[in-house]
Parts: sequence; structure tokens; C-alpha cells
Amino acid sequence: MNQALITQLLQLGGSIIAILLLWLLAAKLGLGGDVRIRDENHARTLAEDALCGFVPVDLVIDRAGMGALLRDVAGRVMLLRRHGAHFAARLLDGHSFARLDRNFLTIANGEKRFGAFTLDLGDKAQVWASSLRRLGA
Amino acid sequence: MPEFSPVDYAVPGFILLIIIEMVWARRRTPEKYEPRDTLTSLALGTGSTAAGALTGGFILALLFWAYQHRLFDIGWAWWAWALCFVLDDLAYYWFHRMAHRVRWFWASHVNHHSSQHYNLSTALRQTWTGFIAVSFIFRLPLALAGFPTAMILTCGAFNLIYQFWFHTEAIDRMPRWFEAVMNTPSHHRVHHATNPVYLDRNYAGVFIIWDKMFGTFQPELGSERIRYGIVKQLGSFNLLWSVFHEWIGIAQDVWRAPWRHKFSYMWREPGWSHDGSRDTSDAIRARWAGRQSASGSE
Repeated sequence: MNQALITQLLQLGGSIIAILLLWLLAAKLGLGGDVRIRDENHARTLAEDALCGFVPVDLVIDRAGMGALLRDVAGRVMLLRRHGAHFAARLLDGHSFARLDRNFLTIANGEKRFGAFTLDLGDKAQVWASSLRRLGA
Repeated sequence: MPEFSPVDYAVPGFILLIIIEMVWARRRTPEKYEPRDTLTSLALGTGSTAAGALTGGFILALLFWAYQHRLFDIGWAWWAWALCFVLDDLAYYWFHRMAHRVRWFWASHVNHHSSQHYNLSTALRQTWTGFIAVSFIFRLPLALAGFPTAMILTCGAFNLIYQFWFHTEAIDRMPRWFEAVMNTPSHHRVHHATNPVYLDRNYAGVFIIWDKMFGTFQPELGSERIRYGIVKQLGSFNLLWSVFHEWIGIAQDVWRAPWRHKFSYMWREPGWSHDGSRDTSDAIRARWAGRQSASGSE
């Protein structure tokens, strides 16, 4: 191996070690916090942030505040779920999958990387599961 | 490649400043950082360096070739350095603008925007696929004009180093004269925002004057709470998905689209679709503006 290649490999190794140390430091400092959906207004704001013009007429929040389901006047249903220290959202459609297990509703939107998400919706779980079935989920 | 690599010397400074910002975040708002997001950003930065090392030889050869066909013998005078830095920044502005307005370029650049955080680690969130996106072509005119290759690459490296520090929420505003001419944390926060009013604005690298000259400048508004990231947030910290998701999206769209629309899925703006089922940033901005005027007239 020539000198330049060895230098580059050493730099790469050093970078990977530095990355892992910074990641550990971020975790050690408790960065990221513990964000939750506080109330309905918070859920509405997050929905509007995710999709400009999405005005929910009905919504339900996970009992731990980790996510929410929201429906607008056009009948579109949005899944909001926590992603790190923020939230990510998807509109649900016929490709979505929903499974009801008592108070728990598990939803996957067909995007493998977005993943399935389980919401604890209490006694509203069944009603929302039925409405998702109307979407074809 | 030139022996002197300014970015290599800057890296320890980058790490130190990230640590300082993390400590600041811990005291003020721990949500400004997220360990998994930081890990993804830094891994993207390292991978970008490795990808650059693999393709750098070709780009260097291309620049040398262009230099051999130069229009002028500019040489190494001090003013040539200053002119090269300014023109390289102008070239960066147009590269960056195209990187947001042409999906092929966006597929490479989206890595830099896919974090929902805006901190110094975000600055290192660089592409692995710039070579595939042929983003190096924006520097060719400088070599053709007659600027030496090493001068162009050195100016480009200092441009990149300058762009590190303003990826932060720890600094509010710089002095007015500075804000008027230079790119700053405030200007660049706007660029990373997904608020409709901020979409596709402030493409500048070092000098914000390009945005003011070409009509893409938007000052940061006190009334807007900034949201960062991309219009359709990734919702994943997966490194490879962060790198390739838009390329995969292009491939899927081109595969499914009718023949006469296939090319458009590569060269039209991000969010364009032949059936109008998706939103471009222009469409989002128009919808937002419509709602603003409707609520204003009530």
C-alpha cells in the first residue's frame, strides 16, 4: 500500500472513532429530550407543520403522547408519530395496514423505512380502526 | 490533488465547536440535538469524504482538461485569488439553486436537508452521490476561464469551511453590515426551513448578495417558528436510506411513469408529478399564500 492510501485509511478510522465519541457524548449529555404531543392544539400544529393546509376536524392522541391520528374535512387521515426529538407524518391510504388489539392500533403506511407504529388510543381505538378500514387499510 | 487541504486542518475545529454547541444545547434546549440524528449526520460527512476520495481523481482530471483549453492566462496574482473566491461562490450559488430546483441534483443534495435538526452536526451532513449528480460541472467554467485548478479547489475548500459555522441556532443575528453582505446563521436557517414562506430561498454559500441580486432572498421573520428538514420528513435515521432515498424515488417514478413523462421525473423540480398528485415547493407556497390572504380578508 502506498503512503497516501495509508494516510487516507488512518483519517477514515480517526473520523469513525470521533463520530462514535460525539454520539456517546450526545447521549451522555441527555440530548434529545423526551418530546410528547401535549394536547389537541399541539397535534393540530404538528399536522399543519407537516402538511400545509391540513386542518383536522377530528383527532385522537396516543395516551402516552407518542403519536396521533387526525382526519380533515376531505376525509384524509394523517398519522403523526414521534421521530427522535421531532415528529414525522404520513397521509394514510389504501396501501396502509392497520391492526387492532384491544386499545392498541398498529398502523403501517407501506413505507418500510417509516415503519409500523402502535398507538394506545384507549376506548377510541375501535372507532378509528373502523374508519381506517374505510380507507382500505 | 493539491497537497494542502484546508478542510483537513479545519476538522478538529469542527469537532470542538460541535462539543461546545452540545454543551450549550444541554443547558438551553436538549431537543436541539438528538444522538441518532447526530450519528447519521456525522456518518454522512465521513462517507462523503470517502466518496470524494474515490471520485476526486476524475474531477481533478476534468478540471485540468478544462484549464488546458482556458480562455485567459490568469495566473497566481493576489487579485486572482480574490476574484476566484468570489466567482467560485457565484458558481456555488447556481449549483445550489439547481440542487433545489432539479430533482436529479436534489437527489444528491437532499442528504444535507433531511435532518429535522439545525445544528453544527447538520453542516457535516454531506452527500455521497455528488459525482452521480454531476454537480462538479458548475466549477468547470472557472477552469475554462483560466483560474488554476489548485486555486479553484483551495477557494472551494475555504468556501466549504465558511459554511460550517452558520449551521446553528446558538447565534441569533450578526451585526447589520455583516448580515447585509455575508451568509449568516439567520439567513441559512431560512434556507433549511420547511415553512412555506421560506421554501427554496437563500441559496448563498458565503455572500448573501447573490440571493439579493437574483431574487431569492428571504429574511428570517420573527413571527415564524422555524421547522427544519424536508417537506416529506424521512422519519428514519437509517444511514443508507438517508443517502439513497431520493435516487430510489426517481427510479421508481421513472419506472412507473408513462414514456413521455419519464425524463421529467429526473429534470423537473422536486415534487413534480405528471398527474399533479404531489406538491412542489411553488404549489405549497401558493397554497400557503392563498390561506394567508383568505384569513387576512376575514
